Amino acid sequence: MNGAHDMGGMHGFGAVIREENEPVFHAEWEGRVVGIRSELQRFGRNIDRFRSMIEQVRADRYLSIPYYERWLDVTLRDCVERGFITAGERRQIETVGSDEDVEALSSRVKNINVPQTVPASTRGYVRAIITSPAFSIGEVVKARNTHSATHTRLPRYVRGRTGVVLADHGGFVFPDTNARGEGEQPKRLYTVRFTARELWGEDTNARDTVLLDLWEPYLEREA
Amino acid sequence: MLGSLPMADDHDNHRHQDPPSDPALRVKALETLLAQRGYIDPKRIDDLVDHFQNRVGPMNGARVIARAWTDKDYLARLRANATAAIAELGYSGGQGEHMITVENGPKVHNLVVCTLCSCYPVPVLGLPPVWYKSHAYRSRAVREPRAVLEEFGVHLGEDVEVRVWDSTSELRYLVVPERPKGTERMNEVELAAIVTRDCMIGTALVKAPK
Repeated sequence: MNGAHDMGGMHGFGAVIREENEPVFHAEWEGRVVGIRSELQRFGRNIDRFRSMIEQVRADRYLSIPYYERWLDVTLRDCVERGFITAGERRQIETVGSDEDVEALSSRVKNINVPQTVPASTRGYVRAIITSPAFSIGEVVKARNTHSATHTRLPRYVRGRTGVVLADHGGFVFPDTNARGEGEQPKRLYTVRFTARELWGEDTNARDTVLLDLWEPYLEREA
Repeated sequence: MLGSLPMADDHDNHRHQDPPSDPALRVKALETLLAQRGYIDPKRIDDLVDHFQNRVGPMNGARVIARAWTDKDYLARLRANATAAIAELGYSGGQGEHMITVENGPKVHNLVVCTLCSCYPVPVLGLPPVWYKSHAYRSRAVREPRAVLEEFGVHLGEDVEVRVWDSTSELRYLVVPERPKGTERMNEVELAAIVTRDCMIGTALVKAPK
Protein backbone atom coordinates (compact mmCIF):
# COMPACT_ATOMS: atom_id res chain seq x y z
CA MET A 1 0.00 0.00 0.00
CA ASN A 2 1.11 3.56 -0.64
CA GLY A 3 1.38 4.22 3.07
CA ALA A 4 3.27 6.57 5.32
CA HIS A 5 5.74 3.74 5.93
CA ASP A 6 7.06 3.90 2.35
CA MET A 7 9.52 6.71 3.04
CA GLY A 8 12.39 6.22 0.65
CA GLY A 9 13.24 9.54 -0.98
CA MET A 10 10.84 11.71 1.02
CA HIS A 11 11.84 15.18 2.17
CA GLY A 12 10.82 16.85 5.38
CA PHE A 13 11.94 14.58 8.21
CA GLY A 14 14.96 16.65 9.17
CA ALA A 15 18.38 15.50 10.28
CA VAL A 16 19.23 12.04 11.56
CA ILE A 17 19.42 12.43 15.33
CA ARG A 18 21.77 10.08 17.14
CA GLU A 19 21.98 9.33 20.83
CA GLU A 20 25.29 8.54 22.50
CA ASN A 21 25.36 5.36 24.57
CA GLU A 22 21.80 4.61 23.58
CA PRO A 23 20.02 2.00 25.72
CA VAL A 24 18.39 -0.98 23.95
CA PHE A 25 15.04 0.07 25.42
CA HIS A 26 14.15 3.60 26.46
CA ALA A 27 11.41 2.50 28.83
CA GLU A 28 10.59 -0.81 30.47
CA TRP A 29 7.36 -1.17 28.48
CA GLU A 30 9.28 -1.23 25.19
CA GLY A 31 11.10 -4.39 26.26
CA ARG A 32 7.84 -5.96 27.43
CA VAL A 33 6.21 -5.29 24.03
CA VAL A 34 9.13 -6.86 22.19
CA GLY A 35 9.05 -9.84 24.57
CA ILE A 36 5.27 -10.32 24.34
CA ARG A 37 5.29 -10.17 20.57
CA SER A 38 8.19 -12.58 20.42
CA GLU A 39 6.47 -15.01 22.79
CA LEU A 40 3.12 -14.89 20.96
CA GLN A 41 4.91 -16.15 17.86
CA ARG A 42 4.77 -19.56 19.56
CA PHE A 43 1.16 -19.69 18.38
CA GLY A 44 2.07 -19.03 14.77
CA ARG A 45 4.15 -16.43 13.05
CA ASN A 46 3.73 -14.46 9.88
CA ILE A 47 6.13 -11.54 9.65
CA ASP A 48 4.49 -10.27 6.47
CA ARG A 49 1.13 -10.02 8.19
CA PHE A 50 2.79 -8.17 11.08
CA ARG A 51 4.44 -5.66 8.74
CA SER A 52 1.18 -5.23 6.89
CA MET A 53 -0.63 -4.47 10.14
CA ILE A 54 2.04 -1.93 11.09
CA GLU A 55 1.46 -0.23 7.72
CA GLN A 56 -2.26 -0.16 8.42
CA VAL A 57 -1.84 1.96 11.52
CA ARG A 58 -3.52 5.15 10.35
CA ALA A 59 -0.94 7.30 8.54
CA ASP A 60 -1.29 10.29 10.89
CA ARG A 61 -0.86 8.05 13.92
CA TYR A 62 1.95 6.02 12.29
CA LEU A 63 3.98 9.20 11.89
CA SER A 64 3.31 10.58 15.34
CA ILE A 65 3.91 7.69 17.75
CA PRO A 66 7.20 6.02 18.72
CA TYR A 67 8.30 2.85 16.98
CA TYR A 68 7.43 0.41 19.74
CA GLU A 69 4.07 2.06 20.33
CA ARG A 70 3.18 0.98 16.78
CA TRP A 71 4.12 -2.53 17.84
CA LEU A 72 1.81 -2.18 20.83
CA ASP A 73 -1.10 -0.96 18.68
CA VAL A 74 -0.63 -3.87 16.30
CA THR A 75 -0.10 -6.47 19.03
CA LEU A 76 -3.43 -5.42 20.59
CA ARG A 77 -5.19 -5.72 17.23
CA ASP A 78 -3.48 -9.03 16.54
CA CYS A 79 -4.52 -10.42 19.94
CA VAL A 80 -8.16 -9.65 19.11
CA GLU A 81 -7.97 -11.12 15.60
CA ARG A 82 -6.39 -14.30 16.94
CA GLY A 83 -8.90 -14.55 19.78
CA PHE A 84 -6.46 -14.03 22.66
CA ILE A 85 -8.46 -11.07 23.96
CA THR A 86 -11.87 -9.70 23.07
CA ALA A 87 -12.56 -6.46 21.22
CA GLY A 88 -14.10 -5.14 24.43
CA GLU A 89 -10.93 -5.95 26.36
CA ARG A 90 -8.88 -4.16 23.73
CA ARG A 91 -10.95 -1.02 24.21
CA GLN A 92 -10.51 -1.29 27.97
CA ILE A 93 -6.77 -1.85 27.67
CA GLU A 94 -6.47 1.19 25.44
CA THR A 95 -8.06 3.43 28.03
CA VAL A 96 -6.66 2.13 31.31
CA GLY A 97 -5.79 5.18 33.37
CA SER A 98 -4.17 3.67 36.44
CA ASP A 99 -2.83 0.50 38.03
CA GLU A 100 -6.25 0.11 39.67
CA ASP A 101 -7.85 -0.02 36.22
CA VAL A 102 -5.42 -2.78 35.25
CA GLU A 103 -6.35 -4.75 38.37
CA ALA A 104 -10.05 -4.25 37.75
CA LEU A 105 -9.68 -5.45 34.17
CA SER A 106 -7.66 -8.45 35.30
CA SER A 107 -10.24 -9.43 37.94
CA ARG A 108 -12.91 -9.74 35.24
CA VAL A 109 -10.87 -12.06 33.00
CA LYS A 110 -12.55 -15.31 32.13
CA ASN A 111 -10.27 -18.12 31.10
CA ILE A 112 -10.48 -19.35 27.57
CA ASN A 113 -8.77 -22.24 25.87
CA VAL A 114 -5.16 -21.54 25.01
CA PRO A 115 -4.40 -22.65 21.45
CA GLN A 116 -1.73 -25.18 20.55
CA THR A 117 1.70 -23.80 19.98
CA VAL A 118 3.29 -24.19 16.56
CA PRO A 119 6.86 -25.53 16.37
CA ALA A 120 9.30 -22.81 15.31
CA SER A 121 10.43 -23.10 11.72
CA THR A 122 14.15 -23.38 11.21
CA ARG A 123 14.11 -22.99 7.46
CA GLY A 124 13.67 -19.24 7.28
CA TYR A 125 11.99 -17.91 4.17
CA VAL A 126 13.70 -19.85 1.38
CA ARG A 127 11.30 -22.11 -0.53
CA ALA A 128 11.89 -24.49 -3.40
CA ILE A 129 10.36 -23.37 -6.67
CA ILE A 130 10.32 -25.30 -9.93
CA THR A 131 9.88 -22.47 -12.41
CA SER A 132 13.02 -21.33 -14.20
CA PRO A 133 14.11 -17.72 -13.73
CA ALA A 134 12.34 -15.14 -15.87
CA PHE A 135 15.37 -12.86 -15.65
CA SER A 136 19.08 -13.56 -15.79
CA ILE A 137 21.97 -11.96 -13.98
CA GLY A 138 23.09 -8.86 -15.83
CA GLU A 139 19.72 -8.39 -17.53
CA VAL A 140 18.12 -4.94 -17.64
CA VAL A 141 14.73 -5.00 -15.89
CA LYS A 142 12.08 -2.48 -14.95
CA ALA A 143 10.28 -2.36 -11.63
CA ARG A 144 6.57 -2.46 -12.39
CA ASN A 145 4.51 0.65 -11.91
CA THR A 146 1.91 -0.97 -9.66
CA HIS A 147 0.10 0.43 -6.65
CA SER A 148 -1.02 -2.46 -4.52
CA ALA A 149 -3.58 -1.38 -1.92
CA THR A 150 -2.29 -4.15 0.35
CA HIS A 151 1.16 -5.14 1.59
CA THR A 152 4.04 -5.10 -0.87
CA ARG A 153 7.82 -4.78 -0.58
CA LEU A 154 8.17 -2.81 -3.80
CA PRO A 155 8.86 0.76 -2.65
CA ARG A 156 7.36 3.65 -4.58
CA TYR A 157 10.73 5.17 -5.35
CA VAL A 158 11.78 2.36 -7.71
CA ARG A 159 8.45 1.77 -9.49
CA GLY A 160 8.82 2.36 -13.22
CA ARG A 161 12.61 2.61 -12.85
CA THR A 162 15.14 0.53 -14.72
CA GLY A 163 17.92 -1.47 -13.13
CA VAL A 164 20.17 -4.46 -13.65
CA VAL A 165 19.82 -7.89 -12.05
CA LEU A 166 22.80 -8.44 -9.77
CA ALA A 167 21.87 -11.74 -8.08
CA ASP A 168 19.27 -14.51 -8.20
CA HIS A 169 18.50 -15.87 -4.73
CA GLY A 170 15.99 -18.56 -5.74
CA GLY A 171 12.53 -18.97 -4.23
CA PHE A 172 11.44 -16.97 -1.19
CA VAL A 173 8.08 -16.59 0.56
CA PHE A 174 6.15 -13.92 -1.36
CA PRO A 175 5.18 -11.21 1.14
CA ASP A 176 2.28 -9.80 -0.88
CA THR A 177 0.21 -12.97 -0.67
CA ASN A 178 1.50 -14.18 2.69
CA ALA A 179 0.50 -10.90 4.34
CA ARG A 180 -3.07 -11.27 3.05
CA GLY A 181 -3.43 -14.82 4.35
CA GLU A 182 -3.29 -16.20 0.80
CA GLY A 183 -0.30 -18.42 1.45
CA GLU A 184 3.42 -18.24 0.89
CA GLN A 185 3.23 -18.67 -2.93
CA PRO A 186 7.04 -18.54 -3.19
CA LYS A 187 8.50 -16.45 -5.98
CA ARG A 188 12.04 -15.94 -7.18
CA LEU A 189 13.94 -13.16 -5.44
CA TYR A 190 16.53 -11.01 -7.20
CA THR A 191 18.84 -8.25 -6.11
CA VAL A 192 18.43 -5.39 -8.57
CA ARG A 193 20.89 -2.52 -8.84
CA PHE A 194 19.60 0.94 -9.75
CA THR A 195 21.85 3.89 -10.39
CA ALA A 196 21.29 6.89 -8.16
CA ARG A 197 20.84 8.93 -11.36
CA GLU A 198 18.01 6.67 -12.58
CA LEU A 199 16.22 7.13 -9.28
CA TRP A 200 17.02 10.70 -8.30
CA GLY A 201 18.20 12.51 -11.39
CA GLU A 202 21.37 14.18 -12.50
CA ASP A 203 22.17 15.89 -9.22
CA THR A 204 23.77 12.74 -7.81
CA ASN A 205 27.15 11.04 -8.10
CA ALA A 206 27.26 8.98 -11.31
CA ARG A 207 28.95 6.11 -9.43
CA ASP A 208 26.37 5.70 -6.70
CA THR A 209 23.88 2.87 -6.70
CA VAL A 210 20.89 1.66 -4.70
CA LEU A 211 20.27 -2.07 -4.43
CA LEU A 212 16.95 -3.70 -3.59
CA ASP A 213 15.77 -7.29 -3.24
CA LEU A 214 12.76 -7.63 -5.51
CA TRP A 215 10.51 -10.62 -6.21
CA GLU A 216 9.89 -11.68 -9.79
CA PRO A 217 6.29 -10.37 -9.96
CA TYR A 218 7.64 -6.88 -9.17
CA LEU A 219 9.72 -6.87 -12.35
CA GLU A 220 9.20 -6.77 -16.08
CA ARG A 221 11.43 -6.84 -19.10
CA GLU A 222 12.43 -3.41 -20.32
CA ALA A 223 10.17 -2.72 -23.33
CA MET B 1 -5.14 -19.51 11.70
CA LEU B 2 -3.69 -16.24 10.49
CA GLY B 3 -6.60 -15.18 8.35
CA SER B 4 -7.01 -12.49 5.78
CA LEU B 5 -6.90 -8.87 6.73
CA PRO B 6 -9.27 -5.99 6.34
CA MET B 7 -7.77 -3.12 4.37
CA ALA B 8 -7.15 -0.97 7.39
CA ASP B 9 -7.70 -1.21 11.06
CA ASP B 10 -11.40 -0.29 11.26
CA HIS B 11 -11.06 -0.07 14.99
CA ASP B 12 -9.02 3.11 14.61
CA ASN B 13 -11.78 4.80 12.67
CA HIS B 14 -14.29 4.65 15.46
CA ARG B 15 -11.87 4.72 18.32
CA HIS B 16 -13.11 6.52 21.38
CA GLN B 17 -12.54 10.21 21.54
CA ASP B 18 -10.26 9.70 24.55
CA PRO B 19 -6.62 9.46 23.54
CA PRO B 20 -5.08 6.08 24.31
CA SER B 21 -3.52 5.91 27.73
CA ASP B 22 0.15 5.78 28.64
CA PRO B 23 1.79 2.91 26.71
CA ALA B 24 3.29 1.57 29.94
CA LEU B 25 -0.19 1.03 31.37
CA ARG B 26 -1.54 -0.46 28.15
CA VAL B 27 1.35 -2.93 28.01
CA LYS B 28 0.91 -3.83 31.67
CA ALA B 29 -2.79 -4.47 31.11
CA LEU B 30 -2.13 -6.61 28.03
CA GLU B 31 0.65 -8.59 29.71
CA THR B 32 -1.55 -9.20 32.75
CA LEU B 33 -4.45 -10.52 30.67
CA LEU B 34 -2.29 -12.71 28.47
CA ALA B 35 -0.46 -14.14 31.47
CA GLN B 36 -3.72 -14.86 33.31
CA ARG B 37 -4.93 -16.83 30.33
CA GLY B 38 -1.66 -18.72 29.98
CA TYR B 39 -0.59 -17.32 26.63
CA ILE B 40 2.60 -15.91 28.06
CA ASP B 41 4.74 -16.38 31.14
CA PRO B 42 6.08 -13.09 32.51
CA LYS B 43 9.31 -14.86 33.54
CA ARG B 44 9.85 -15.83 29.94
CA ILE B 45 9.28 -12.19 28.92
CA ASP B 46 11.96 -11.22 31.49
CA ASP B 47 14.34 -13.66 29.76
CA LEU B 48 13.57 -12.22 26.33
CA VAL B 49 14.19 -8.68 27.57
CA ASP B 50 17.49 -9.85 29.04
CA HIS B 51 18.34 -11.55 25.74
CA PHE B 52 17.82 -8.36 23.73
CA GLN B 53 19.53 -6.16 26.30
CA ASN B 54 22.54 -8.32 27.08
CA ARG B 55 23.05 -11.30 24.83
CA VAL B 56 22.69 -9.91 21.32
CA GLY B 57 24.40 -6.77 20.16
CA PRO B 58 27.17 -5.37 17.99
CA MET B 59 29.78 -7.32 19.98
CA ASN B 60 28.57 -10.38 18.05
CA GLY B 61 28.99 -8.79 14.64
CA ALA B 62 32.36 -7.38 15.70
CA ARG B 63 33.63 -10.93 16.28
CA VAL B 64 32.54 -11.88 12.78
CA ILE B 65 34.40 -8.92 11.28
CA ALA B 66 37.56 -9.48 13.31
CA ARG B 67 37.60 -13.13 12.27
CA ALA B 68 37.08 -12.18 8.62
CA TRP B 69 40.03 -9.77 8.86
CA THR B 70 42.39 -12.28 10.40
CA ASP B 71 41.39 -15.63 8.86
CA LYS B 72 41.36 -15.88 5.05
CA ASP B 73 39.55 -19.21 5.11
CA TYR B 74 36.84 -17.73 7.29
CA LEU B 75 36.48 -14.76 4.94
CA ALA B 76 36.07 -17.18 2.03
CA ARG B 77 33.34 -19.05 3.92
CA LEU B 78 31.66 -15.75 4.81
CA ARG B 79 31.62 -14.77 1.14
CA ALA B 80 30.28 -18.15 0.07
CA ASN B 81 27.58 -18.51 2.75
CA ALA B 82 27.46 -15.76 5.34
CA THR B 83 24.59 -17.34 7.29
CA ALA B 84 26.60 -20.53 7.85
CA ALA B 85 29.87 -18.71 8.58
CA ILE B 86 28.16 -16.46 11.14
CA ALA B 87 26.49 -19.49 12.71
CA GLU B 88 29.97 -21.01 13.23
CA LEU B 89 30.50 -18.29 15.84
CA GLY B 90 27.15 -19.10 17.44
CA TYR B 91 24.97 -16.36 15.97
CA SER B 92 21.74 -17.31 14.23
CA GLY B 93 17.99 -16.93 14.49
CA GLY B 94 15.23 -14.47 13.76
CA GLN B 95 16.16 -11.57 11.47
CA GLY B 96 19.40 -13.33 10.65
CA GLU B 97 18.12 -16.33 8.72
CA HIS B 98 19.59 -15.19 5.40
CA MET B 99 22.75 -13.17 5.91
CA ILE B 100 24.79 -11.46 3.22
CA THR B 101 28.03 -9.58 3.83
CA VAL B 102 29.01 -6.60 1.71
CA GLU B 103 32.63 -5.48 1.79
CA ASN B 104 33.94 -1.96 1.84
CA GLY B 105 37.12 -1.16 -0.06
CA PRO B 106 39.14 1.84 -1.18
CA LYS B 107 36.63 2.60 -3.96
CA VAL B 108 33.40 1.12 -2.54
CA HIS B 109 31.38 2.10 0.50
CA ASN B 110 28.28 0.15 1.54
CA LEU B 111 25.40 1.54 3.57
CA VAL B 112 22.40 -0.45 4.85
CA VAL B 113 18.88 0.88 5.38
CA CYS B 114 15.32 -0.40 5.46
CA THR B 115 13.11 2.29 3.95
CA LEU B 116 9.86 0.36 4.48
CA CYS B 117 10.21 -0.63 8.13
CA SER B 118 13.41 -1.29 10.07
CA CYS B 119 14.82 -4.64 8.99
CA TYR B 120 18.10 -5.24 10.77
CA PRO B 121 20.42 -8.24 11.31
CA VAL B 122 19.48 -8.84 14.95
CA PRO B 123 21.63 -11.90 15.78
CA VAL B 124 24.80 -9.97 14.89
CA LEU B 125 23.82 -6.39 15.80
CA GLY B 126 21.00 -6.71 18.33
CA LEU B 127 17.95 -4.46 18.08
CA PRO B 128 18.37 -1.35 15.95
CA PRO B 129 19.08 2.08 17.45
CA VAL B 130 16.37 4.74 17.23
CA TRP B 131 18.15 6.63 14.44
CA TYR B 132 18.16 3.56 12.18
CA LYS B 133 14.36 3.37 12.58
CA SER B 134 13.88 7.13 12.25
CA HIS B 135 11.88 8.64 9.43
CA ALA B 136 14.86 10.87 8.63
CA TYR B 137 17.29 7.97 8.06
CA ARG B 138 14.77 5.80 6.22
CA SER B 139 13.79 8.62 3.84
CA ARG B 140 17.24 10.08 3.23
CA ALA B 141 19.69 7.15 3.14
CA VAL B 142 18.60 6.11 -0.35
CA ARG B 143 18.26 9.62 -1.82
CA GLU B 144 21.24 11.44 -0.33
CA PRO B 145 23.52 8.87 1.31
CA ARG B 146 26.55 11.15 1.05
CA ALA B 147 24.82 13.93 2.97
CA VAL B 148 23.73 11.45 5.65
CA LEU B 149 27.26 10.05 5.85
CA GLU B 150 28.68 13.56 6.23
CA GLU B 151 26.41 14.08 9.24
CA PHE B 152 27.83 10.87 10.69
CA GLY B 153 31.33 12.23 10.11
CA VAL B 154 32.13 9.98 7.15
CA HIS B 155 33.66 11.94 4.28
CA LEU B 156 33.95 10.00 1.04
CA GLY B 157 35.72 11.07 -2.11
CA GLU B 158 33.83 11.61 -5.35
CA ASP B 159 35.70 8.60 -6.75
CA VAL B 160 34.20 6.23 -4.18
CA GLU B 161 31.05 4.35 -5.21
CA VAL B 162 28.36 4.46 -2.55
CA ARG B 163 26.15 1.36 -2.57
CA VAL B 164 22.98 1.68 -0.54
CA TRP B 165 21.29 -1.63 0.33
CA ASP B 166 17.56 -1.22 0.97
CA SER B 167 16.54 -4.29 2.99
CA THR B 168 13.28 -5.06 1.19
CA SER B 169 13.38 -8.86 1.66
CA GLU B 170 14.40 -11.30 4.39
CA LEU B 171 18.04 -11.01 3.31
CA ARG B 172 19.97 -9.14 5.99
CA TYR B 173 23.08 -7.20 5.10
CA LEU B 174 26.18 -6.82 7.26
CA VAL B 175 28.89 -4.41 6.15
CA VAL B 176 32.45 -5.70 6.39
CA PRO B 177 34.37 -2.48 7.01
CA GLU B 178 37.91 -1.89 5.86
CA ARG B 179 40.58 -2.86 8.34
CA PRO B 180 42.36 0.37 9.15
CA LYS B 181 46.08 0.87 8.72
CA GLY B 182 48.07 0.60 11.92
CA THR B 183 46.20 -2.47 13.17
CA GLU B 184 48.56 -5.06 11.69
CA ARG B 185 49.83 -6.18 15.10
CA MET B 186 46.43 -6.41 16.74
CA ASN B 187 44.92 -9.83 17.41
CA GLU B 188 41.35 -10.90 16.76
CA VAL B 189 40.06 -9.94 20.20
CA GLU B 190 41.68 -6.51 20.04
CA LEU B 191 40.30 -5.97 16.56
CA ALA B 192 36.77 -6.91 17.60
CA ALA B 193 36.96 -4.18 20.24
CA ILE B 194 37.37 -1.43 17.63
CA VAL B 195 34.54 -2.55 15.33
CA THR B 196 31.47 -0.54 16.25
CA ARG B 197 27.82 -1.03 15.37
CA ASP B 198 27.81 1.90 12.95
CA CYS B 199 30.81 0.47 11.05
CA MET B 200 28.73 -2.63 10.32
CA ILE B 201 25.74 -0.57 9.10
CA GLY B 202 28.02 1.61 7.02
CA THR B 203 27.58 4.92 8.85
CA ALA B 204 31.11 4.88 10.30
CA LEU B 205 34.62 3.76 9.39
CA VAL B 206 36.75 1.72 11.76
CA LYS B 207 39.41 3.80 13.46
CA ALA B 208 42.72 2.41 14.61
CA PRO B 209 43.38 3.10 18.29
CA LYS B 210 45.75 6.04 18.88
